[in-house]
Amino acid sequence: MAKQSFSVVGRRVQRVEGYEKATGESRYIADIVLPRMLYGKILRSPLPHARIRSIDASKAEKLRGVRCVVTAEDTIKKPWGAFFADQYPLSVGKVRYVGEEVAAVAAIDRDTAEEALDLIEIDWEELPAVFDAEEAMQPGAPLVHDDKERNIAMVIDVERGNVEKAFAESDVIVEDTFQSAPQWHCAIETIGSVADYSPSGKYTVYMNTQTLFNARYRIAAALGVRETDVRIIQSAVGGGFGGKSCDDNNAIVAAILSRKAGKPVKLINTREEEFLAGSRPRVFMKIYVKMGFKKDGHIRAKQTRVVADNGAYSAKAPAITGVAALRHDTCYKYSDVKTQAYLVYTNKIPTGAFRGFGNPSAEWAVEQAIDEAAHKLGIDPIEIARMNAAEPGYVSPHGNRVISCELKQCIDKTGELIDWKTKRANKKPDTGLGLACTVHVSGKRHFGDYDGSSATIKLNEDGKALILSGEGESGQGCYTTMCAIAAEELGIPIEDVEMSHADTDLTTFCLGAFASRLTYISGNAVRDAASKVKQQLFEQASDMLEANAADLVARDGKIFVRGAEQKALPVADVARARLFRNGGAPIVASGKFDADSVLQDSTRYGNESGAYNYGCQAVEVEVDRETGQVKILQYAAASDCGTVINPVGAEGQVEGAVAQGIGYALIEGLRFDEGRPVNPNFSDYRIPSIRDMPPLKHAFADSYEPTGPFGAKGLGELGMDPTAAVISNAVFDAVGVRIRTLPITPEKVLKGLKEKKDK
Amino acid sequence: MKRPVTLLVNGESYDIEVEPNRLLLHALREDIGLTGTKEGCSIGVCGACSVTVDGRLVSSCLTLAVACDGKEIATIEGLAKDGVLHPLQQAFVEYGGLQCGICTPGQIIAAKALLDENPNPTEEEIKEWMAGNLCRCTGYYKIMESILAVMHGRVSAAQPGGKPAREAKIQSLGVYKPVSKTS
Repeated sequence: MAKQSFSVVGRRVQRVEGYEKATGESRYIADIVLPRMLYGKILRSPLPHARIRSIDASKAEKLRGVRCVVTAEDTIKKPWGAFFADQYPLSVGKVRYVGEEVAAVAAIDRDTAEEALDLIEIDWEELPAVFDAEEAMQPGAPLVHDDKERNIAMVIDVERGNVEKAFAESDVIVEDTFQSAPQWHCAIETIGSVADYSPSGKYTVYMNTQTLFNARYRIAAALGVRETDVRIIQSAVGGGFGGKSCDDNNAIVAAILSRKAGKPVKLINTREEEFLAGSRPRVFMKIYVKMGFKKDGHIRAKQTRVVADNGAYSAKAPAITGVAALRHDTCYKYSDVKTQAYLVYTNKIPTGAFRGFGNPSAEWAVEQAIDEAAHKLGIDPIEIARMNAAEPGYVSPHGNRVISCELKQCIDKTGELIDWKTKRANKKPDTGLGLACTVHVSGKRHFGDYDGSSATIKLNEDGKALILSGEGESGQGCYTTMCAIAAEELGIPIEDVEMSHADTDLTTFCLGAFASRLTYISGNAVRDAASKVKQQLFEQASDMLEANAADLVARDGKIFVRGAEQKALPVADVARARLFRNGGAPIVASGKFDADSVLQDSTRYGNESGAYNYGCQAVEVEVDRETGQVKILQYAAASDCGTVINPVGAEGQVEGAVAQGIGYALIEGLRFDEGRPVNPNFSDYRIPSIRDMPPLKHAFADSYEPTGPFGAKGLGELGMDPTAAVISNAVFDAVGVRIRTLPITPEKVLKGLKEKKDK
Repeated sequence: MKRPVTLLVNGESYDIEVEPNRLLLHALREDIGLTGTKEGCSIGVCGACSVTVDGRLVSSCLTLAVACDGKEIATIEGLAKDGVLHPLQQAFVEYGGLQCGICTPGQIIAAKALLDENPNPTEEEIKEWMAGNLCRCTGYYKIMESILAVMHGRVSAAQPGGKPAREAKIQSLGVYKPVSKTS
């Protein structure tokens, strides 16, 4: 493979916006203040399912300091949504979950807005509600949406090969049902926006979204205006993880308030609102899995049935359910697979995109089933993983075409990191080892037939480059990665590359941060733009150096004829000379990239991504038989993300993902009582603290993706996908208890130990 | 009824008038305009709003502004001097101790309070102290590494603005004349 030596790529570089973040100067959404700005507050439904007979806002409107109150009457009453248009900015006639937006107030300060909410009178007619997806599918269950029979939003029914025959040919069959859990993003910054409507018809919206152009489209659709009537300017984003993909109503309500009040309106979710109706939590699923194996451990057949809880409205859950049903078939070599998946409405918060996008739920089930088979067959789980692992050139039964794939290397590295063989041979009582593998995409073609990106780079007369892109920075380090890619291609130091804040009026169309796509997709577009900029530089330099452009090299901010480095020209001099002359021009170019993937057809067949990233994780745990407590002694992760562009950023992605995975596995979970969240705050919904983090070793595979920028692929979500299954498999290895419902709490472990003893 | 309060923030004195229930967090952010201190959970759990009051680490979302009358408050804005980062800030940038950055001011203020009190904490003591500062991005490994780097003197000398100094040039009849970028 074409391996090159790099001058920026692969170096441990600092965050390009690190100074601003370390000094508190970065401007997040809550820090933005506009002249005459009002504060918005939303009145949310206290009921899971109810008809609105009437709303009386007259008292609220009269409160001193209130500038306007809005309800559905101030909207176009047209539903919107990422895939299915089924949610309204403000409830039209009916509410379907606790927390739903019913009305909103804009006032001179937060306290006044809050006070006004209490003065809005609503006459409710409570309706029977349904909270469990399987119950919701039963005939006669209350209907969340009147036109959705048995509350089913979507069905997937796919068979490839002949599953019945494949099970008949299997030596060992395992069958089990697993339940994943809702999980909240818990970005330390909540969702918010500042909307500024101009009577000329333009809505300028400052947002902490991770997907600007999707936000623009959705806000425009909800307001009934053209896309360019809405301008989205990204503030600094205090963590996204999928939760800030504009699947919620915050910015839309702010825009409606601003239009009616005639002033800018700031609307920031409180932490409680964030849990009730802000970021759309992980889609929770019940997954029945049946797998057939040959005696030697090879997978012969796989069948799943997925019931996914959509909540009251569809955000990204239709795509997420598809991933849970099909994606894992790209991890191992499968021939005969069948899946039936149901996405079901319930009277709870809409679920949606969270790092992993269906993979963590699928792997919670399938990777445990494989582990069960390994124990049944008496084969080391690491061997089963290795013999079935996908390889370069693998085409999944659903048409995913794998180019680079170092899953086997990841398995081997993980085994070394955790010292699998030695520990397995010297197993101590109540300690156990667990392992699981994962696959993820580097971009996914599902918003129309496009999974591309574009970027513009201008090379200033002082030799510094500026990248203009609408992909944005959601906190993960995308700017640094893009600057490194541009610096490498241009042959200038990374300190000489900047990236502008994303703004839909100033940049070309970009889909944004999801599906681990930015390094691969946006990276390719940035590299293309940089290579065009370099061509312009070389054209100019070839005159100045009296040489052929093809013989020129750019490195460390200088351009020279190959082999004649002593006669180098600073890039700045070349850029300046191109501009300041008769007929001069600035150096600027746009680049583009669209992944070589296809939009899946109606049977969900088609190569969904341009590249696939792989990983393997393992853990050693100790289980306390007295308390049921699971203690992680050592965690290990190996990832194949192709070339590592920025090791500091890549390590940070794995470390943060594993932390979220450990939270998901062991401690996180919102509890509902009749559809009402009972622990929507950080003291009752606990996320991992520094004390919860175990020793972690990680490694990156020696890998190169030929279609990626300098060989790179995606990474962001990979590290969170298998973690819960990894830990559960280790608990089983330690004490023989199989946990089938997330999270793995001490109570469940104790219950399992007792059941085992009673048997 | 608003009450006059004097807050000594990062060595500067601010006279403001606040309602008795005004939180120190909102007084800092909205009355004084120092927005580096962040609001995360509003109930004193996440540590994003950490500041020190007379040297003691507090959650400013649980502290009333009127209770800080005449007291010395240190926020993230006071750490860098003349554009040169404090070693802890430099370490968080250099060692990947920050990603999205929203918890970073609180993390750095808390870490500074720790090192001021105990310049050589063990890893266990660091974990114990920092457990009140939640981060959803890093998994905390690089936050730990950043703090250890400061303790062990492994942080690079910071440059103004965090970047190597460069000179601006102007174009004049084909002759480049260096001019100073900042005064």
